[in-house]
Amino acid sequence: MSRPELELERALSDLGAHLDFPATPDLALAVATRLRAAPAARPRDRRARGWLPGLPRLPGWRRLAVAGLAAVLLAAAVLVVSPGTREAVARRLGLRGIDIRLGGERPTPTVTTRPGERLELGLGLRVTLEEARRRVAFPVLVPTAAGFQTPDAVFVNEIQPQGGRVDLVYRARPGLPASPYTDAGLLVTQFQGTLTPDFIKKVVAGGLVEEVQVAGQPGYWFSGEPHFFTYLDTRGEITDEQTRLAGNTLVWQAGAQTLRLEGQLPKQEALRIAESMR
Amino acid sequence: MCETQSVEGRPLDDQELVEQARGGDARAYEALVRQYQDLAFRTAWVIAGSAADAEDAAQEGFVKAWYALPRFRVGAAFRPWLLTIVANEARNRRRSGRRQDDLALRVAEDRPSGDAAPSPEAAALAAEQRRLLLAAVGRLGESDRQVIACRYFLDLSEAEMAGALGCRPGTVKSRLSRALGRLRAAMAEQANGGAPPLTRLQGGGE
Repeated sequence: MSRPELELERALSDLGAHLDFPATPDLALAVATRLRAAPAARPRDRRARGWLPGLPRLPGWRRLAVAGLAAVLLAAAVLVVSPGTREAVARRLGLRGIDIRLGGERPTPTVTTRPGERLELGLGLRVTLEEARRRVAFPVLVPTAAGFQTPDAVFVNEIQPQGGRVDLVYRARPGLPASPYTDAGLLVTQFQGTLTPDFIKKVVAGGLVEEVQVAGQPGYWFSGEPHFFTYLDTRGEITDEQTRLAGNTLVWQAGAQTLRLEGQLPKQEALRIAESMR
Repeated sequence: MCETQSVEGRPLDDQELVEQARGGDARAYEALVRQYQDLAFRTAWVIAGSAADAEDAAQEGFVKAWYALPRFRVGAAFRPWLLTIVANEARNRRRSGRRQDDLALRVAEDRPSGDAAPSPEAAALAAEQRRLLLAAVGRLGESDRQVIACRYFLDLSEAEMAGALGCRPGTVKSRLSRALGRLRAAMAEQANGGAPPLTRLQGGGE
């Protein structure tokens, strides 16, 4: 570089060091306030747009009835997804915040579990239960059933989905076998289903899906062959967090919250724990 | 806490904060916002041209970056990524057609400190030279002004400049060198008496 060029560059750097920029506003405070605020008007919220134009926004469960799927659900309280239904049109069930697809294309799991290897579940920040309660907007529910009142670990994630989520993890122990898919005895996830577009995607290519009630509220029980489980990001897209296989799982709604319980448990035991959550 | 400083004088726990924020920790993200708000706001200001638009753009950029964090590649550099998002917001606001302050920077008064204080005459001369240089930069076209401001006023790296200016990293150097060439020409014309009409220097043509 020639000398005049170097001099000009030096002069510009010197000028940069002597400039009065406009004062920076307190963005940290403004941003923190926005992240904590109820995210009512997010642009890409598919649910807020509604999928039947002209109809008022309905809770997810009732929308199913509007869409005429109620008959399907009633007629087939237990849905057996036969293998080889790839070409079949995927049927879509749903709870608030959960996209459940029966049949259709099988995703490729991007996480494969090997025995003894810690599974990356993308749970977020490990905190105490009290801290988790401070960080999310919804009331964190914990089982009151004996043996489940104190989770072995609590994780909070304030970024996904909107409104945050809390995971309760119970170590495997006698009577609570380790799941081959999570390595834990029991994993309970909860988030505010009303605030969020689909956050969990489940693709059931085999196995059973059963409609259940948990304390009078709608839910599904997945058992038999494992299903495919993925977290979606705030745009409803699959994040680089992975698609994995999941075993027996109960998903249900409790008020505004959507909950998910995964573990190698029989259905009645899963229901008993779920119904005890306060 | 990690006390070590990196070469650029930034604390090394940056990456930890990014990692924690990526895991969903809003407090870690607030710490990141605090750390980068000056840089983000000034970058937005260079591009949007007004303080109000820059504030909007930087705030929106930080919120969008938070929700995009799960897609942020682990181990990648946070600053260029953030500046790309913020600068995009700033460009959108500039396109919306509002009036700009056009890099209406002022040269700060020299604050003499102790023994090294220059004589009043020398300080006045230095300040005058800076004002002339700033005036010459101000007469350049938008794209030249921005690339010079990003490099010398904000001290951005090439990757950060590419993010902020929305161009490929490979073109940053040549863009900067063309801008410097036009600045030299503008300085020469200034020295030869009278600033040329603005239009002659705009548009990027030689």
